[in-house]
Amino acid sequence: MSSTFKKISLKVLLIVLPLCGMWQIGSASYIHAKAILAQVLLETAWDKTVHGQQEVKPWPWADTWPISRLDVPGLGIDRIVLAGASGSSLAFGPGHLFGSSLPGQQGNTVIAGHRDTHFRFLKDIQRGELIQLQSLTGKMIQYKVSETIIVDEKQTEYLANTSENTLTLITCYPFDAIRPGGPLRYLVIAKQHKPDIST
Amino acid sequence: MKQKNSIFTSTLHCIIAGFCSGFFFNIIMIFTIMLISDRLGADTLEENLDDDLLNKQIAEVRPEKAKQGTLLFKTINNLTHDYTLAPSLDTDVHIQIRGMIARTTVKQTFHNNSADWQEGIYVFPLPENAAVDHLRMHIGDRIIEGQIKEKQQARREYQQAKIEGKRASLVEQERPNIFTTSVANIGPDEDIIIEITYQQPVRYQNETFSLRFPMVVAPRYIPGKTVVTGFEGTGWSLNTDQVADASRITPPVLNPVQDLENEAEHRTINPVSLRIDLDAGFLLSNIDSPYHPIDIGIPDKTRYSIQLQHSQVPANRDFVLDWKAEPGNAPRAALFTEEKDADIYSMIMLLPPASETSPVLHREVIFVVDTSGSMSGPSIVQAKQALKLALNRLKPGDRFNIIQFNSYTDKLFRFPQAISHHALRQAHLYVDSLEAQGGTEMAPALSAALLKQGNKSGANNNNDGRNYDVRQVIFLTDGSIGNEDALFNIIQSQLGDSRLFTIGIGSAPNSHFMNRAAKFGRGTYTYIGNISEIQTKMETLFSKLESPVLTNIHIQWPEDCAKNNCVVESYPHNIPDLYLGEPLLISTKSDSLPESLTITGEIAGETWSAALKLKGGQKDSGIPAIWARKRIAALMDKMRQNQNSEGDEVEQLRNGIIKTALSHHLVSKYTSLVAVDVTPARLKEALVKSHALPVNLPEGWDHKKVFAQLPATATNASLAFFNGLLMLLAGLLLLLTRKHVFNV
Repeated sequence: MSSTFKKISLKVLLIVLPLCGMWQIGSASYIHAKAILAQVLLETAWDKTVHGQQEVKPWPWADTWPISRLDVPGLGIDRIVLAGASGSSLAFGPGHLFGSSLPGQQGNTVIAGHRDTHFRFLKDIQRGELIQLQSLTGKMIQYKVSETIIVDEKQTEYLANTSENTLTLITCYPFDAIRPGGPLRYLVIAKQHKPDIST
Repeated sequence: MKQKNSIFTSTLHCIIAGFCSGFFFNIIMIFTIMLISDRLGADTLEENLDDDLLNKQIAEVRPEKAKQGTLLFKTINNLTHDYTLAPSLDTDVHIQIRGMIARTTVKQTFHNNSADWQEGIYVFPLPENAAVDHLRMHIGDRIIEGQIKEKQQARREYQQAKIEGKRASLVEQERPNIFTTSVANIGPDEDIIIEITYQQPVRYQNETFSLRFPMVVAPRYIPGKTVVTGFEGTGWSLNTDQVADASRITPPVLNPVQDLENEAEHRTINPVSLRIDLDAGFLLSNIDSPYHPIDIGIPDKTRYSIQLQHSQVPANRDFVLDWKAEPGNAPRAALFTEEKDADIYSMIMLLPPASETSPVLHREVIFVVDTSGSMSGPSIVQAKQALKLALNRLKPGDRFNIIQFNSYTDKLFRFPQAISHHALRQAHLYVDSLEAQGGTEMAPALSAALLKQGNKSGANNNNDGRNYDVRQVIFLTDGSIGNEDALFNIIQSQLGDSRLFTIGIGSAPNSHFMNRAAKFGRGTYTYIGNISEIQTKMETLFSKLESPVLTNIHIQWPEDCAKNNCVVESYPHNIPDLYLGEPLLISTKSDSLPESLTITGEIAGETWSAALKLKGGQKDSGIPAIWARKRIAALMDKMRQNQNSEGDEVEQLRNGIIKTALSHHLVSKYTSLVAVDVTPARLKEALVKSHALPVNLPEGWDHKKVFAQLPATATNASLAFFNGLLMLLAGLLLLLTRKHVFNV
């Protein structure tokens, strides 16, 4: 009796454990797949935006829309930036914080991205690196990284408006932590490098 | 060996199969979701083919460009230092109500707990119609009476005294409902008491009298680009091109949740004690304070004394008192008079009877809901519930739309929709999905609500080009913005035949905005401060929205008055439309009181008139101040409308305001109260340190949502991957060791 019970429970465990494990690994890959795939879908929406349409939703039920394009030529990075830095938009791309300056406007433009997907490249960024933002009107704005710092999530002074045109990129820190939700943030601060170049 | 091999391969197979199945399962899920959503979209199109095709787009975004603005960033979370050093504050409030006039004395005690000489600056709210006419500074037993001066003059005198080491205080108006008290040269371990007195008329609506005492200036959203003038005031915001005085209306806010070694402790400051003497002039059936528990003493005839059950409450939510006359005793008309400088001032109240005819009106109702960060927590829950109630109240033949705004404006339908089961279902889903986050760009939302796009499409119009009898915009917000004047201009210039009804949500709504927006929008205002009130407050509002309105109201003074040369100056100049249950309230100044007056108006297409004898009446105090306050408000409105015009007009209006304010001893935008002690107290060598007094976050507000936090930016991909690996490993271990463990 007990032996059959053992057998059954063993079988169940042997089936359930690998399946759950695979499910977890699958969902991890899904997060990455979604992050990559969405950027492809966003491309079209961004094209329409630059050509004069406003708030183009990349898919019908999206609650966000592209508002800028971020390039780091030195690292071969090209990302479409979405409106809002809520969890639902960050899954698809870096998000522009509501209330911070839009690219091309005077002040501090703040963009956040996931440390393990779109903004993983931040750990490779060095002082002096060039970052380009494309504004809603298609203008290219160049920034030069002036510093990278690690701060606590409560240090909101970095979000405050600045008189100098600034780009602040935010991601979580440390980059390789397994558990999400830590209190530390990695900030890349870049200052506008040149006057706008029209394309 | 063979067996081991097979175990290994089977495990490998298992891993690969599991991985693929997990991955593909997810992909399939996504496609299913996509397909379902597409199906839903298709349903939408099929069901409503008869309607205008354009109307089916759910969550159509109006292409309003987001504007730049300041989210509320600077907090004293990191400035605990400053918080402990600033003088602390206690407030004691005594309200005396006689008839329909309330006279309130606010005593602010500034304690200096440090060893330095200090200057304390406190930004606080008062009712939007408060006529502030007295300032007294108590230093020990001595009392120094404040003088009314022109603003710049008052500031100079205060600064001079501050430099000379004299104790001084200054009360300035920033907005009709935001004031600043500055107290200079508070000695080490010294208390200085600032006593401020104001009068106001009591609100009378639907047979209920009510009085609101605001306790805290809620953090305001400041739109616009910063202008580089630096900090003029002591607030957390810089001045911007849209809010030129932003730094003066944004007092530093204490983060209520302090993380003390991971044990979150809730802390509040600025305790308030409050008592009320209420003499309505008749017996009351009910006295209620919806937000603070109160004790009511045994009445002496018609006099009631009321106090807070807790001796002190934190200044973090408005205090409200409502009272009702015994059934049948609710006054329908009242007259209050007072003589001053050979003039007679009066306040006249008349409640028009409810109309008996109530025609069925086809309404176009546009709901606008504020979903900015300041609405998060209980406020958005209240707004959603109120919206749902209102949706259920719509009738066949009505049309509606919902607009939400935060940093962006978003619409449910591109054009207002006729009531249908389907449209309502979409609306309920839309309301469910509302989340509070981001800034408060109110201007585009107001414009979108007032613009009648339904008429432009052509396709969904009736033949007459207007598919409604009345167009009502219902605006749910906490009004936490700093650019009130710009918004009032939008309302006045774009109102057309719409009517705007504001619903003030939350524990500390901006009463100045609610009141004036409704006035310029020719509607009314309502407050909802907690969940339990929603039902009754909304019912009252619905009955107003659905009943005919008394419009085109005029006052005719008797002819003999004109002959005897008695000049009557009465406010408001243009009498607002009156909704069900609202009284007419006018303040007049004249050489002698006319014997009677006639009021005419139109209701439901019929003429209505009433004659009122102005005899007797209750002699009361505070009537001239209330009249002067209304005159100043009227002049300020004119000034706002003419702000861009050239020439003397603005200057004349300004002088008019100053003259009225000075002669009635009132604080206004251009006049302040200043009190200066004669003898210097501080030695010139000692420094005086200036501190802005922090204020509480309004109750129910979420500090993170308002003052932002650096966003969380990690997915749980790594964690999931790690967990998955662990489970696989466990499975493998089990497979290899099953003989030993299970003996099978």
